[in-house]
Amino acid sequence: MAGILQYPKRWIRTTRRRTDAFFSTAGIERIGVHVQLVVLVSLVLFPIVVAAVVSTKGVGIVTSVSDLLPGSYAAENYREALVDYNFGRFMLNSLVMSVVIVVGKLAVSVLAAMAIVYYRVPYKDLVFLFILFTLMLPVPVRFVPLFQLINDLGWGNTLLAITVPYIASATTVFILRQHFLSIPSSIVENAKIDGIGPVKFMLYVLIPMSKGVLVGVSIIMFVFAWNQYLWPLIIIDSQANQVAQVGLALLEGDVQSGELAWALVMAGSMLTLLPPLLLMIVFRKPLLNTFSIQQK
Amino acid sequence: MSKREVFDSRLGAALLLLPTIVVSFLFLYYPAALAVRTSFFDSTFGRSDEFIGIENYVSLATDPGYRFSLAITVLFGLLVVAGVMVFSLYVTFLIHEVDYGESVYLISAIWPYALPPAVAALVFTFIIHPTLGVLTGPIESLGFAVDWFNTGWQAFVVITVAAIWKQIGYNVIFMVAAMNNIPEALTETAELDGVSGLRRLISIYIPIMSPTLFFLVIINTIYAFFSTFAFVDLMTGGGPSSSTNILIFDLYQEGFSFFNFGMASTKSVLLFIIVGILMYIQFQLTEEYSHYGA
Repeated sequence: MAGILQYPKRWIRTTRRRTDAFFSTAGIERIGVHVQLVVLVSLVLFPIVVAAVVSTKGVGIVTSVSDLLPGSYAAENYREALVDYNFGRFMLNSLVMSVVIVVGKLAVSVLAAMAIVYYRVPYKDLVFLFILFTLMLPVPVRFVPLFQLINDLGWGNTLLAITVPYIASATTVFILRQHFLSIPSSIVENAKIDGIGPVKFMLYVLIPMSKGVLVGVSIIMFVFAWNQYLWPLIIIDSQANQVAQVGLALLEGDVQSGELAWALVMAGSMLTLLPPLLLMIVFRKPLLNTFSIQQK
Repeated sequence: MSKREVFDSRLGAALLLLPTIVVSFLFLYYPAALAVRTSFFDSTFGRSDEFIGIENYVSLATDPGYRFSLAITVLFGLLVVAGVMVFSLYVTFLIHEVDYGESVYLISAIWPYALPPAVAALVFTFIIHPTLGVLTGPIESLGFAVDWFNTGWQAFVVITVAAIWKQIGYNVIFMVAAMNNIPEALTETAELDGVSGLRRLISIYIPIMSPTLFFLVIINTIYAFFSTFAFVDLMTGGGPSSSTNILIFDLYQEGFSFFNFGMASTKSVLLFIIVGILMYIQFQLTEEYSHYGA
């Protein structure tokens, strides 16, 4: 289907290209599109390119565009940030937190979405609404009582505090539900005729048929978890257990008291950006597909 | 009833739903309900809570500082939503129009999706730093003094631009998907009728994409209200003289700098109500205007 749809599109585009002479108005228009895109995309890339360049320099001072040549202090800066300023530890904490959240959310959400799509039981629409409504309850509308609750549970400063409250996910349940609804019902009915129980159905039918979406939502959940800032800032007060986002704030604090160059802060920023960025680029296909499900 | 509903064990369904329900209840609904309760108390460390009815609400309603926070938050939200959507829409349109290099342009435009707000905040602080920033020199050479550490409106502009920058990737992802779904035949017809580029975007693509655009308005509003804490915390600390003290930051300070838990909870409840109203309005508008996509 996709092939049939795409063929004429490509064909039209090539013929269009062939018939346009280079200096025709259409040709100039095409070049204009490139020029505009290069300018706008450069605006989006510029800040991070500056950060990357500065993270390789001896001093973090860039007062003119000619200072924007890479320096030779990359290894030194990154080593200093990772080792001397504990960024290695912060990164590891963030990684553990994010992986636990992704695995936990995925497990819990697959179960919930399966119940919502494949079980004929009363009140399940109500339960689905109950789950969806949590979108209206982000951390800021409940963080004072949550802070007290977590401390009452004795979880302050622990991995539990920055993972368990995130395990329930309206977004993930919603995406998985939409995807499950798109699996042809004939497959489900065949499974039923074969007398497959719910556990086997999940392991041998549902999960194998959802690989791309499971990868996609995992990336979405990882980026979300990795980028959390406010909640770890409140609930974690020992440096050893802190995550990279708040670790950056600690680094910046050192800069403002004059002990450190901006080059190091930019090195820390690049380190903090790298894990979600790499995952996004490597898994962009399942990620983009999953986003298109979310929208339906 | 759907053909997919092949299982009917109530116990089975309950077990599958249990983890999500328990976590949602314990860590989302219960604390939110407690926040409502605490909002009627005078509550802080080291002494027992005192019930004071709606006093917190009354004092906020008459507090000029809080009204100011509310006003700049709404302004901030409007600017972020409008800024990010106009920029992203135009970039998406260009990517749609371009004849080759699409995927390179696309990746270059959507990567900020992965950008942590804390990183965006620090990188922006650096490039427009009043004394060290690479952009500061060029801007000042136009005869304009960059002094956002001390000038309120400049600080407000800087955090707004930084917040817009971070949200571009997410918007372009959804807009590209929506624009690619527009039938090519429509574009061809429009071209034959001599409808040129930008007019095609405004009078054909945008109406067709309106369900996606409304979805993004909602997502971006939630982002501006709830997910921009790191920008203020790292870049301005709410200042200078409260000019960037948006509600989420104000709320954090009330709770965790001043430890007024009662008042902080009142502010949480109000923030919830404000965002609830905004989302309600947006859903109403969606109902009214987005019939094109169906």
